Amino acid sequence: MKASCNWIREIAAIDASASEMAERLTRAGLEVEAIERVGEGLDRVVIAEVRGKRAHPTKDKLSLVTVFDGKGTREVVCGAPNVPAPGARVVLVDVGAVLPGGLRIESREVAGVRSEGMLASEKELGIGADHEGILVLGDDDPGKPGARVDEALDLRDEILHLSLTPNRPDCLGHLGLARELSVLFGEPFAPRLTLLPSKLMSVLPEAPRGTAALPVIDSGTGHSGETASLVAPVDGVPMVAPIHIAAPDRCARYVGTVLQRVVVGPSPFWVRHRLHTLGQRSIDRVVDVTNLVLLELGHPIHAFDLDRLDGHRIEVRLAREGERIALLDGTERTLTADDLVIADASKPIALAGVMGGSETAVRPGTKNVLLEVAWFDPRSVRRTSRRHAIHTESSHRFERGVDPSGIPTAQRRALSLLTTLAEAVSSPIGVDAETRRIANATISLDPDYVRSAIGDASISDVESRTILEGLGCAISPGEHSGWRITAPLHRPDLTRAIDLVEEVARVRGYDRVPTALLRPEPRPEAASSRALLVRQVRRAALATGHHEAVNFTFLAASDLTRARVSTEAVALANPLSEERSVMRTSLVPGLLANVSRAERHQRPRGRIFEIGRRYLPGNGPTSVDETASLAIVAFGARDQWLGEGPSVDFYDGKGAIEGVFASLALTVEHRVPANVPGWLHPRRAAEIVLRAGEDARVIGHVGEIHPDVADAHELVTRPVIAELDLEPVLVALAARAPKQVAALPRSMAVVRDLALVVEERVSLSQIAHAIREAGGPLVEDVALFDLYRGKPIAEGHKSFALRVTYRDPEATLTDARVEETQSRVIARTSSELGATLRA
Amino acid sequence: MSDAVQEFEAGLARLGGDVTATFAACIDENALRAENAKLAGPQGELTALLKLMPKLPGDRRKELGQRANQVKQAIQSAFDGRLAAIARAIREAELSGPQLDVSLPGRSVRPGGQHPITKTIEELLDVFASLGFEISESREIELAEYNFGRLGFPPDHPATDMQDSFFVKGRTGSAAGGGGDDAVVLRTHATAIQVHEMLARKPPMAVVASGTVYRRDDDATHSPMFHQIDGFLVDKNVSFAHLKGVLTTFLKRTFGADVPVRFRPSYFPFVEPGGELDIGCTFCRPWVEAGSEAQIARTLACRTCKQTGWIEVLGCGSIHPVVFESCGVDPNEWSGFAWGMGIDRIAMLRHGIRDIRMLYENDIRFLDQL
Ligand SMILES: [Zn+2]
Repeated sequence: MKASCNWIREIAAIDASASEMAERLTRAGLEVEAIERVGEGLDRVVIAEVRGKRAHPTKDKLSLVTVFDGKGTREVVCGAPNVPAPGARVVLVDVGAVLPGGLRIESREVAGVRSEGMLASEKELGIGADHEGILVLGDDDPGKPGARVDEALDLRDEILHLSLTPNRPDCLGHLGLARELSVLFGEPFAPRLTLLPSKLMSVLPEAPRGTAALPVIDSGTGHSGETASLVAPVDGVPMVAPIHIAAPDRCARYVGTVLQRVVVGPSPFWVRHRLHTLGQRSIDRVVDVTNLVLLELGHPIHAFDLDRLDGHRIEVRLAREGERIALLDGTERTLTADDLVIADASKPIALAGVMGGSETAVRPGTKNVLLEVAWFDPRSVRRTSRRHAIHTESSHRFERGVDPSGIPTAQRRALSLLTTLAEAVSSPIGVDAETRRIANATISLDPDYVRSAIGDASISDVESRTILEGLGCAISPGEHSGWRITAPLHRPDLTRAIDLVEEVARVRGYDRVPTALLRPEPRPEAASSRALLVRQVRRAALATGHHEAVNFTFLAASDLTRARVSTEAVALANPLSEERSVMRTSLVPGLLANVSRAERHQRPRGRIFEIGRRYLPGNGPTSVDETASLAIVAFGARDQWLGEGPSVDFYDGKGAIEGVFASLALTVEHRVPANVPGWLHPRRAAEIVLRAGEDARVIGHVGEIHPDVADAHELVTRPVIAELDLEPVLVALAARAPKQVAALPRSMAVVRDLALVVEERVSLSQIAHAIREAGGPLVEDVALFDLYRGKPIAEGHKSFALRVTYRDPEATLTDARVEETQSRVIARTSSELGATLRA
Repeated sequence: MSDAVQEFEAGLARLGGDVTATFAACIDENALRAENAKLAGPQGELTALLKLMPKLPGDRRKELGQRANQVKQAIQSAFDGRLAAIARAIREAELSGPQLDVSLPGRSVRPGGQHPITKTIEELLDVFASLGFEISESREIELAEYNFGRLGFPPDHPATDMQDSFFVKGRTGSAAGGGGDDAVVLRTHATAIQVHEMLARKPPMAVVASGTVYRRDDDATHSPMFHQIDGFLVDKNVSFAHLKGVLTTFLKRTFGADVPVRFRPSYFPFVEPGGELDIGCTFCRPWVEAGSEAQIARTLACRTCKQTGWIEVLGCGSIHPVVFESCGVDPNEWSGFAWGMGIDRIAMLRHGIRDIRMLYENDIRFLDQL
């Protein structure tokens, strides 16, 4: 919302500067984001009268214009096509002036003729949008030749750029802002608005039948008779249009007034300028008046071309399913039975409160107008505006709540402007269809509650009362104690006592709220917060050398397919783009995108993890299961002291998982998976088993990415990736007991190396298991220290070099006992797994 | 005198000569040990000499034996002395040798870089925890009833425009024109934690929660997914002044005790009175030498606060009675306050991140710097 400080000052007696207004409004919750100054830099621009005009001797498009600048005449060269006849007033920029756009005017020769200044357009002066020709003042525009243009045309203004919260529709017009500022500056508020039409038709018509109608402009009470000149109506044009509200729950009141003999032409300069500074385009006198009223009172109104209304009548009804309407924005819309429309006898002519139809729009040549001033249900307007994605100045206000008690003011203000600006003749009767009266809210308020809710005992009853009355509340004594408050209809947000407390706090200023401290009671159950357990996992992943990623949780369905993760995804009904239209079912696609990005940016190695949620279709009230997940990826060359090592492989991934769980003090094992997920290499993956006491469960997988998935992502490296369900990990962390420590052995260990040749199919864990079985409790540790394939080992075989640690905790082991045990170990590996001692 | 005695005495005289000088000529440990072996080793001269002992006449044996022993000890002591000297020389050479190139890379497992979002969340949650708040969390895909309805958002009200939401396909709600309490949305704020907690247990309570939230906004300064910390406190006789006190303390602990805090009214359907808290811009620091030419120039050049000197950090207010009522808590007995703050911008401020997109691209060159 943009607001003119001049306009505010016209309405209310406020003498504060723009920056004082802005500061006070912001402090009261009506945020002013910027103050824009307009009409500056025009001190050497004056009004001049055209005295003569002749053709340029050599250039067709130029003319030489003699102007009188209040002191003398001079000749300027002008290229505009619209130089007016002598006697008309234009705007002269003096030699030496610098225009707001930076243009410097100098005395110079234009095609051989000296020009002593320049005749300027609105746009060149920065005071309007018109750049088709020079600014020519109309007869009703003020300013004598020689007068400074900024003073004569009242160009200087400050425009407040407000960012309003949706609870304050009253401030979507200058009247409401003037009222608010009056309260904030402690001034009484008596708005100054000219409300009376100046030209009235003389004959009273019959009251229209079939509608709940009553006259609102009564020649006896509404007009003094001194300002109204009586004019005869045009033959064949009705003086009233019947109005029928068929959807009373959607439209509480609709006032339609006929205006005859309108002059639809360009508006005078002050109207164009005012609209321009507030960011609106000037259309014509009639439409400009509706926009002026909207900006001034915050009440959207509409003008129809009366002669284009079938039956010269108005019906406010719900659209029929599939009914169509062509709108002012050039689009055609298909309506639903939930859209409220204004219709004539045969068709919809406007989307109520949102936008008018093009067929019945006021246009050049329009002679008679029906003016609509109405109150539409905010929810209805909002649904229609959302459904058709049309957001207008009108829908913006109606959906927030327009003052229903402001209808007569808006009507009379519009009539006053139309009869003066568009020279229209107003019917003395508006048809006022009112289906229900919107009641004021009444609220009980105890002034003690104001003090206790704010926490400030120093707020006096008088202060609260003054603030609330200034805002338009009526205060009477409450039934038992306190106050009974009637809230004004322009403040639909005031419905409860707490709303009034906020008003007192807000108008006083939050900087005056005292500060007090309190300390919540600690609750023992709160100790092991899930967020803190997740934090432990994050610490572990960081400590093992992984960067943390935070990826978008929504992605394209094709991302799931490409990564070969579950495509059973939760989809969004209204995504911003296909790229982010489904919720992820796995963190793998996100990490693969991170790897791909790293490769593209010449950084093809690294380790990344992410902790986040996966969203799977499920049960519960939302039909979605959200579970926490941990994913880790390693890609490219392995770190080594100098230079790059060989590429990471499965064991880097397994090591990462082991590292994370070691630092969490939890036990995991890796096993040949029962089912390999589609994103992993079928032969180079393991399932991760979390062991907690007797319980062992598969929580996820780790392995080399499936080569086809790597290709689908155009990866150069072959990342190793793991994903696991964090939920059981968090449970295990919460239940985890402190690590128990065994006494240190007093006896010495005996270490024996053992090189065993086995077939490829035999795993280290099988060998180690056999050794432990055979060696019994004397085997303390079995460690692999070399793995060898190649000559002289036979094809299809490998050699494990193992270091076995033997120890008897009770006694010193004799060589004989070690030898005897080692022989049993060798025999067992041979008989069970076909191992032979390496020669 | 027997021959044996003569030979023995001659041998002792040879061996009892200047062994120290002999050993001193040995320049390293190997040469020293070889020389020592020659003199006192199993194949050495002294051993050979001692083999003569049985041949010595009985009356001389004791005396000659003692002398031989003295010679042996002299050799041993000279050897030990020289060995220590050689070791010392080697140590001295090492200690005065070439300087190591300390600029070569160290060997270590480097910890990874923590993402600015989670780092900021953790640190801010810790401040609230130190003020006595419990840390909690809740679901991201939420019933509209919890995200809007029970928080006092009127149906079809423009207040929901402030938080334009994503709907789940197939669950867009049964209300006319879409929406309604049964619709399923990606939560637009973490505020639903209030509803969940108040439905689950009785006040008093003080809870803070962080989480991912979603709004249909995508431009240079808005990401459709972002992060928030929301918190609330419910107790008896909680006033707006308590809110101001607790949140001001939080901001000063987080951003510095000298940072000014500004409190101004604003609107959120679930609080009343509602407000926003701003802190002085931590980039141009307008409160430092306030009013000086340098300060004014700093602030006028500041993009972070758009020349205002202030940065909005959180929205807050006293919990609206409608929220208590919708959660079965009596607003005449209980009162409280709530707040919510966007984390992304604070993370960007803290880490000097200029472009919001960097937060979610996870470029490894970005992560490397953390
Ligand atoms: Zn700044």
